Amino acid sequence: MRFLHQWKKLLILLVLVTGVIFSMSLMSSSPVDFNAEVKPIFNKKCITCHGGVKRQSGFSLLFRADALEINKSGKAAIIPGDPGNSEMIRRLSLTDPEERMPYRHEPLSDKEVSTLKQWIKEGAKWGDHWAYVPVEKTEVPKVDNWFFGVTGGKKWVHNSIDAFTYARMQEQGLNPSVQADKASLLRRVSLDITGMPAPPAIAAHFLQDSRADAYEKLVDTLLASPHYGERWAATWMDLARYADTKGYERDDWRSIWRYRDWLIKAFNENKPYNEFLIEQLAGDLLPDPGDAEFLATAFHRNTMTNDEGGTENEEFRTAAIIDRVNTTWEALMGTTFSCVQCHSHPYDPFRHEEYYKFMAFFNNTRDEDTYNDYPLLREYHNADSIKYQKLKKWLQENGKDREKELTRFVKTQEPAINSIAADQLTNSALTDTKWLVLRNKGVARIANVELTNRSQVIYRYIAWKPGGKWVVHLDKPDGPVLQSINVEDSKGSWKIASFTIPPTVGAHHLYFTYTNANLKTPEETGLQFDWFFLTNPFPGKGRPGYDTAQKYFFDLLYAKDVTITPIMMDNPAELFRPTHVFERGNWLVKGKQVQPDVPRSLGSLPANAPRNRLGLALWVTDKKNPLTSRTIVNRIWEQFFGQGIAETLEDMGTQGIPPTHRELLDHLSWKLMNDYKWNLKTLVKEIVMSATYRQDAKLDRNAQEKDPFNKFYARGPRVRLSAEQLRDQALAVSGLLCEKMYGPGVFPYQPDGIWMSPWNGASWKKSDSCDQYRRALYTYWKRSSPYPSMITFDGTTREVCSPRRIRTNTPLQSLTTLNDSAYTETAQHFAYRMQSLGGENLKQQIGKGYELAMYKPITPEKMDVYVRLYYNALKRFAASPGKAKLMSGSNKGMQDAKTAALVVVAGAMMNTDEFITKN
Amino acid sequence: MSRNNHRIYREARDTSLELVTRRLFFKDCFLGMGGMALGSLLGGCNWLGAKDGTADVFNSANPLLPRAPHFPGKAKSVIYLHMAGAPSQLELFDYKPDLARLDGQDCPQSLLEGKKFAFIRGVPKMMGPQANFKQRGQSGAWVSDHLPHFATVADEVSFLKAVQTDQFNHGPAQLLMHTGTPRLGRPSMGSWVTYGLGTENNNLPGFVVLTSGGKFPDAGKSVWGSGFLPSVYQGVQCRGEGDPVLFIKDPAGMDRDLRKASIEAINEANKLSYDEFKDPEILSRISQYEMAYRMQISVPDVMNINDEPDYIHEMYGTKPNKACFANNVLLARKLVEKGVRFVQLFDWGWDSHGTDENLAIDYGFVNKCRSMDKPVTALLLDLKQRGLLDETLVVWGGEFGRTPMQENRDGKTNLFKGRDHHTEAFTIWMAGGGIKQGTSFGETDEIGYAAVSGKTTAFDVQATIMNQLGFDHEKLTYQFQGRPFRLTDVQGRVIHEIVG
Repeated sequence: MRFLHQWKKLLILLVLVTGVIFSMSLMSSSPVDFNAEVKPIFNKKCITCHGGVKRQSGFSLLFRADALEINKSGKAAIIPGDPGNSEMIRRLSLTDPEERMPYRHEPLSDKEVSTLKQWIKEGAKWGDHWAYVPVEKTEVPKVDNWFFGVTGGKKWVHNSIDAFTYARMQEQGLNPSVQADKASLLRRVSLDITGMPAPPAIAAHFLQDSRADAYEKLVDTLLASPHYGERWAATWMDLARYADTKGYERDDWRSIWRYRDWLIKAFNENKPYNEFLIEQLAGDLLPDPGDAEFLATAFHRNTMTNDEGGTENEEFRTAAIIDRVNTTWEALMGTTFSCVQCHSHPYDPFRHEEYYKFMAFFNNTRDEDTYNDYPLLREYHNADSIKYQKLKKWLQENGKDREKELTRFVKTQEPAINSIAADQLTNSALTDTKWLVLRNKGVARIANVELTNRSQVIYRYIAWKPGGKWVVHLDKPDGPVLQSINVEDSKGSWKIASFTIPPTVGAHHLYFTYTNANLKTPEETGLQFDWFFLTNPFPGKGRPGYDTAQKYFFDLLYAKDVTITPIMMDNPAELFRPTHVFERGNWLVKGKQVQPDVPRSLGSLPANAPRNRLGLALWVTDKKNPLTSRTIVNRIWEQFFGQGIAETLEDMGTQGIPPTHRELLDHLSWKLMNDYKWNLKTLVKEIVMSATYRQDAKLDRNAQEKDPFNKFYARGPRVRLSAEQLRDQALAVSGLLCEKMYGPGVFPYQPDGIWMSPWNGASWKKSDSCDQYRRALYTYWKRSSPYPSMITFDGTTREVCSPRRIRTNTPLQSLTTLNDSAYTETAQHFAYRMQSLGGENLKQQIGKGYELAMYKPITPEKMDVYVRLYYNALKRFAASPGKAKLMSGSNKGMQDAKTAALVVVAGAMMNTDEFITKN
Repeated sequence: MSRNNHRIYREARDTSLELVTRRLFFKDCFLGMGGMALGSLLGGCNWLGAKDGTADVFNSANPLLPRAPHFPGKAKSVIYLHMAGAPSQLELFDYKPDLARLDGQDCPQSLLEGKKFAFIRGVPKMMGPQANFKQRGQSGAWVSDHLPHFATVADEVSFLKAVQTDQFNHGPAQLLMHTGTPRLGRPSMGSWVTYGLGTENNNLPGFVVLTSGGKFPDAGKSVWGSGFLPSVYQGVQCRGEGDPVLFIKDPAGMDRDLRKASIEAINEANKLSYDEFKDPEILSRISQYEMAYRMQISVPDVMNINDEPDYIHEMYGTKPNKACFANNVLLARKLVEKGVRFVQLFDWGWDSHGTDENLAIDYGFVNKCRSMDKPVTALLLDLKQRGLLDETLVVWGGEFGRTPMQENRDGKTNLFKGRDHHTEAFTIWMAGGGIKQGTSFGETDEIGYAAVSGKTTAFDVQATIMNQLGFDHEKLTYQFQGRPFRLTDVQGRVIHEIVG
């Protein structure tokens, strides 16, 4: 009995212990992960009706605060810790289809409901999406020593990248591939780093170099090549929506190539990525910005300008501002922000109002969709640039307080009032919605002009007839006369002139009246204005050199030999433009006024950052910004491997495709900011030095089944070349490439009849000699009609930011490389090269051609294919010398059947998969 | 279900089956075959994964594979005749005798207050119809004397007389009409259709664009662009002069047999690369080169209208070897006959402001009508006589309408009679492809200024076109910028009133 009692005690103890252990095990079971388990249910089943767009019954699951509110039903959907009383759980579990949620859709599974219950029980904690959490240092996975027999027992892992990819491969039951052969690696890394095959000298050096660090030396050489900057600028131009025209209907010429050249230089100088972004977003707001800083800001002047007659300038200015906001997010921060324009983000933590707070950073710029794309940077050359330096120096010595204002005006002709600001028009008009014109007895007003300390008016105009009299009145059409100007006839061309007005204090309306007896009908236009600049008279009157300095000032305003580039510049205080919320995204329905700010879910402006674009740029490049470094790392990775670590480069939000190697992405992002100090060449080197990158690209059956898209990197990248790489490679291999850098867009061969823009006489005039054979990134880019072969190979029109090119494989691409004269010509020159470098023997010639392109000897099987094609062609051309002449090209000494047959072979080789693919 | 529906449904089902078969074939080939035939191995991996109608259907390995729509559609193809510049509805279909009485009077303030026009400033004068109207056919449709041929086929069409837009500039209005937004960057209707249906004829593009020579539409190539869809879905411009399709012609000195030999060599080399790399993308490339060769043979053939009989040329009023509207209309018929899904025609010169003689409503416009009247009528008759009208949807229209007022640019009366751009009402008609015959939907007020009933928009027209092809316009979507986009964005209603 006693024993039994003890036994009972023991049993109770045992039960208790078991119970404790059991409950401990329950307690230690990990809590529900909001991001991994809860948010996907919300996104899939709930958020369409209860999110940022629709908020049925007042209930939204976008933010925790919203989700916990009492809803229209008077009940709270979610009561943290109390699933039993949470209305959401009740509604999810009902059977009546009219009451059960999701309304009229499949009910949630039991497992989903219990996940939600458990999550509420645990306090309904909200989790942040991975991409919205600042980048933390990531631990590199430990890799047990793994040996790869073929490479002689060396550890496969070469750098930290490999540790991450190797760990994932192991999880997937995959093994890494051997290193690619030297020739393939040479071609791959050259195309990747410089966008074109390495020149023969560099190639030969590497192929003969048997030292252990030969590959690293090659990588360093390629990174130091000026072609590196060209290749990466070309990539950035898609993001920056770079084009040589303004877009929309007229799609007229725009001079913005200096920005492209700035990009090339920035990449080549290896400008740290944070500075690279700061200058592009806010170079104009840096202390003492020079030409280079202004040129960088052309990034956001690549927005389109609408010159179509009758279009509302404010509408298209607003469209440009919105584009800047969207591009900043998509290109620099891998986030689609554009939905927030109309409503709170359907899935991601951004509120409607936050869009406009962000827009406020951009909304105060000087550009107003004017015909001339103002503000423009004016870069002077030769004598003009000496005049500029002299003027600047004279001002420093004789008018220090005016120097900044006046040199800036000479450089930019800003801040001027554009004539399209005029209103209250009588017998005057905003012609074509571009310029203010006055007819006989015309009246017009410029409202609210600040006159304090501004007694000189400089203006740009056209007068069509002599004898015009223009009177400027204060406050009323018949108010006090500030000045009466006998307008000098400019004979229909633009002129700049000036006059003075009596010193006046405060902001006033200026009324213009105009009379001209030489205008015979009331319809005839007498005077047209572009802009007005109000300032004080030129300083330093009476000091030595005054007349010359003032002459230089006006000479420079007139200078014809200037290179212009649209740039960013903020409004002066009196032209400040407030920003309002656009109700439901409609720019005409303005809601409450907002101040510039960043979305709360992504932190706040850094301490001491000004509340303007510069402050914004500092926030974008702050190490705490979770998106910037991840976005650029992901983008650069994609250029090497054909896909991003997160495939949706444009969207790392909750609707984007989750990254395959999140820790690797974070690891590289951390290193980029902290270890590499934003140095992109170091990042590129880390990637190409990895064993992951250097693998052979062949697929085996296992890999094909387990990883058809190479998402786990158990083999090297194998991707079709981009439109740019294809052109550059063809030019390089054929020896036609013109290595000239920089300058305005060029016009290589293009078939007739491609450009037929209405209202725009622009025509494609083929460039001369060397310029025909420039790298693809220099090709003139017309938005409404881009270079055909670029578009065929997945280039975009660059109307808006294109964050990712989607590769396609179409017959039109085949037709392009087979038949486009630009490619036919490269085939001809490729054949000439085979002849001149390959010697007399046909096989040697073909072998040489193959080696020029692939850096390795041709296999006998492939040789056989080309030799057969050659003799087939030779037979035909021998019988038809006329065709041989046509096929062999313009080189007179080579218009024979043999050359023609070799051109056919060269053309075929340039169309093979291995030629147009990075292997 | 009508017999026609049965047939289309069967075709759709067969297409799906064929797809599955091909896929299996592809898989077998890929895994098992040593001596692989360089045949048309059209492989696909992704698209069968699409679970419902709202998922993306893009298949990168073979994006143009034929696919079944959401439901059996009445129309197999579309010919969209766009009169760029916007023809005047008041001189063609929207007969307003009351407007004639007001001719020359000042436009009442009530019509101007709060309104904005592209060029009209101040107070313009009203301008009566500059054409004579009669009722035509059984339906009694009003058609003016400017279209004597079309008047004979008025019973074939459904008019939409109260179409509205909110864009009064050409570029944005054309974009809205064809891409569902006045801004650049979205795919055009033909791109959506090709994305949804693939292409039936492997030797021809699925979406062909024909322009009448001279100028492109104001919105440029974006009106047939693919926007955010992969570029493979953009319209392929076929040209009346030069190469019919860009780069379709062999280089000088290359004859057809040699081209064939060279493509065979390319593909043999590719086959060797495939043996080495086993990358399925290489197989896809092989089939693209084969298709390119087939296009080289078939496109010039299709694009050549010279072998059409004389009576057809006479009927359409063609001009030999010129890029002109009449030739394009005939070409359009040939293309749909060969299985092209979407043929988009752009004519130009319809912007009758009255700023010069060619843009005068009583001169240049009349000439434009003459050059359009005959071929368009011929198209309807020709399609009908071939039994193709039932399955070919023909759409005719501009991007907006014209004002009942005479234009006074910058407040001055124009030199010639003309009308400004007008957003509040214009006419579009549709025929064939399951559209009712001889009806009219929508009405404007007594002077043709504003729509008063049966208002429709570009989105409705798009929804209706998609419906006739078998698509629920709300379900054909593509994921972009974090959300599913569709042609009609968040709007659009199928105009059931004209659907047969």
